[in-house]
Amino acid sequence: MTPTCFHCGEPVPSDCTLTVHTNGVDAPVCCRGCEAAATWIQGLGLSDYYRLRSEPAERAETLADFGAWDRPAMARLHVRMHAADRAEVVVLVDGMRCAACGWLIERALGAEPGVREVGVNAPARRVRLVFDPRDTPLSHLLTALARLGYDPHPLDLAALDALRQRESRDALKRLVVAGLGTMQAMMYAVALYAGQFDGMDVATRDFFRWLGFLVTTPVVLYAARPFFAGALRELRARHLSMDTPVALAIALIYLASLIATLGRSGEIYFDSVSMFVLFLLGARYVEMRARHRAGDLVDALARLQPATAERVADGGGSETVGVHELQAGDRVRVAAGAGVPADGVLLDSACHVDESLLTGESTPRRRLCGDTLMAGTLLQDGPVELRVTQVGADTVLAGIVRMITRAASDKPALARVADEHARRFVLRTLALTALTAAAWSVFDPARAFDAAIAVLVISCPCAFALAVPAALTRAVAVLARRGVLVVDGDALERLAQVDTVVFDKTGTLTVPALDRARSEARRGDLDAALRIAAALEQASTHPLARALRAAAGDATLPTVRERHENAGAGVEGVIDGMRYRLGRADWNGETDDERLVLCDQHGTLARFAMHERPRVEAAATVAALHDADLHVVLLSGDRRERVARIAEALDIDDWQAEATPADKLAGLHRLRQEGGVVAMVGDGINDAPVLAGADVAVALGSGAALAQASSGLLLAGDRLDRLLQARTVAREMLAATRRNLRWAIGYNLAAVPLAALGLVPPWLAAIGMSASSLLVLLQSLRIGRRSTQPASTGKTTVAAVSREALA
Amino acid sequence: MNVILLLIPLSMVLLGAGVWAFFWAVNHAQFDDLDTPALMPLADDAQEPEEPAP
Repeated sequence: MTPTCFHCGEPVPSDCTLTVHTNGVDAPVCCRGCEAAATWIQGLGLSDYYRLRSEPAERAETLADFGAWDRPAMARLHVRMHAADRAEVVVLVDGMRCAACGWLIERALGAEPGVREVGVNAPARRVRLVFDPRDTPLSHLLTALARLGYDPHPLDLAALDALRQRESRDALKRLVVAGLGTMQAMMYAVALYAGQFDGMDVATRDFFRWLGFLVTTPVVLYAARPFFAGALRELRARHLSMDTPVALAIALIYLASLIATLGRSGEIYFDSVSMFVLFLLGARYVEMRARHRAGDLVDALARLQPATAERVADGGGSETVGVHELQAGDRVRVAAGAGVPADGVLLDSACHVDESLLTGESTPRRRLCGDTLMAGTLLQDGPVELRVTQVGADTVLAGIVRMITRAASDKPALARVADEHARRFVLRTLALTALTAAAWSVFDPARAFDAAIAVLVISCPCAFALAVPAALTRAVAVLARRGVLVVDGDALERLAQVDTVVFDKTGTLTVPALDRARSEARRGDLDAALRIAAALEQASTHPLARALRAAAGDATLPTVRERHENAGAGVEGVIDGMRYRLGRADWNGETDDERLVLCDQHGTLARFAMHERPRVEAAATVAALHDADLHVVLLSGDRRERVARIAEALDIDDWQAEATPADKLAGLHRLRQEGGVVAMVGDGINDAPVLAGADVAVALGSGAALAQASSGLLLAGDRLDRLLQARTVAREMLAATRRNLRWAIGYNLAAVPLAALGLVPPWLAAIGMSASSLLVLLQSLRIGRRSTQPASTGKTTVAAVSREALA
Repeated sequence: MNVILLLIPLSMVLLGAGVWAFFWAVNHAQFDDLDTPALMPLADDAQEPEEPAP
């Protein structure tokens, strides 16, 4: 068994001897980044973090340079100055996994000189810092966050989450008002029921009815306002969905009870209507929390649009500036895999950009000199230069974001279908209510109103309205706790139906590491060649690039100019006036094996052999997938022998080697045409179009940002075994949804006719309504109970157990 | 039974006070993060670096 890293829980490479001293023993760590993070945390006396956390940390990467954040022009946009010695900044922090992360950040940053206040909001992944800019520059604090292994993105002050904060606070207030109102209304209702059996004089009864009215009024007028507002909006748009019948039912029941109170006759339903509002608000609150947790638009923008850009001066040099400093007419250089900072015209001859986030077009588009590149699109190969035409709020991206913000309530297909069902059901109920009232007014007008209200109450759409969102939000929440982020709600539904899992080998099932024994230098020494190779791959997030950088260690890397990446072949660039190429052997004119070849103008300089270690959990995951009767396919762009070896080691029968992205896409189409529902697991830079071609795209959390952009599910921390858990939970969710809907239909079919015949007393109608909603919620809460707990390292299990014991 | 004429209005006043206090707390960021504070009591206050075990 390979030892796992003390800090991030990833397997430690066999050639790595780094350790940290903790609790009297030397614990192994997997890389310099994790070593630095763990040592620093120990040095601050914060080793409690390892005891408190419930998830392993994000692998600490090599440090980026945050110097650009100190530029006054950047500071103006991101830092709010309260006084000369008091500045405030809000940072979106990636890699926050559990509450212990918030604790760690609070303590570690609090120990920095000049820091006045640290406020961590773990669910929203926000850190609010108040600091003295004369003591501590912002870049220093950002570097401190990065040293802990978290990736900081300072947020634009203008978008300081005011909207989201208000939404969450309002929802909480409404929920509590509805809860307290319901409790009071129920208390008075119990007194009234008791009075009905034991006798109660009319004055006391009316007194309790008025009390019920008093506590229900804020529930209906304040807590239930979102439903009325929604219904009004739908009415204006000449469109019907859930809010209309819900608002109608609330208003009707409330008004009927008020009339009964005023008229001193009939039945009141103040407790039922408050409970109805409470349950609906409760479901919405859970849904909202899950949505906020899964990340929202502000976060997406902070990640999508780069905060800095490389501006090229007329003289030829370049400087890093804030995106908002750019002006139309500036020349900007963009690296491969990076986002385009502003709309602009391409100055180089050609490049490929992935515009899937803006246009939904999944294949990368080829752009020629003079074409427009849009801000927020991802450059596939490069670097290229462009001349800025539009900045800030004028960009296409900003326009799209404004559009999305307006249509913020984007629902997954499953929820839309359930909504449609519920809407039709409620319309029928309303028709049935009218029919009941009409029929009774012919036979016995005195009972018409009571019977109609009983139908309306007992058939309340609650169970229908809750069936899908309750199951969906529960599943998303369960998965989020286990390190699976659901980016796209539809992905979960499709994951439950998946019968074929396609892996992209490099970096998905294996981790590459430099094989020093088989690497050789033709000229010069290996370490010098390694430094050149690492410098060429410096900007790349490809796993091979990472392995090369790791092998080069801490050495200072030379500067590369005119770096150019050729997808699927390699990378070239100029160092000290010499042009180097690093990539596949055949691209560099060698007919050798799978070794990476580095050459300059005079020929081959060195050859680097990589060996592929299957990930620790890969074999177990593949075996479990086989056990679950899933078809496992390996589509790889690598050499035949290598793919064959890995496929054999992992017991995969169906594999294809030397596949180009186009081949992979064709393979996916073939599988889907044969009737399979295909999940594609990938992480490489070449995967983005392929991932988009699958039914469900799954990206590994530490993979290239490009792949994450087009994925439906994100497995945090590179843990493949989480795919199985996600599938189990998705299947449970689908089963729970079906059970919920069946139950809601069955209940209504049984109860509504009885109510229409006037056989159901009002208290039974109220109990029936609450019980049906409660059952739906309980069904949904069972999701994730039976499925296997995450297979974790010893440490995290201990942490989880101690958390449970304390809970 | 006349005592309810006193107690129920009193409960209403208390309810109103409770709702007001809750709104105040929400508006003063007391409910923005419901996860991290749960861990605070578990953490040691020790500021000095960890001592090696004997």
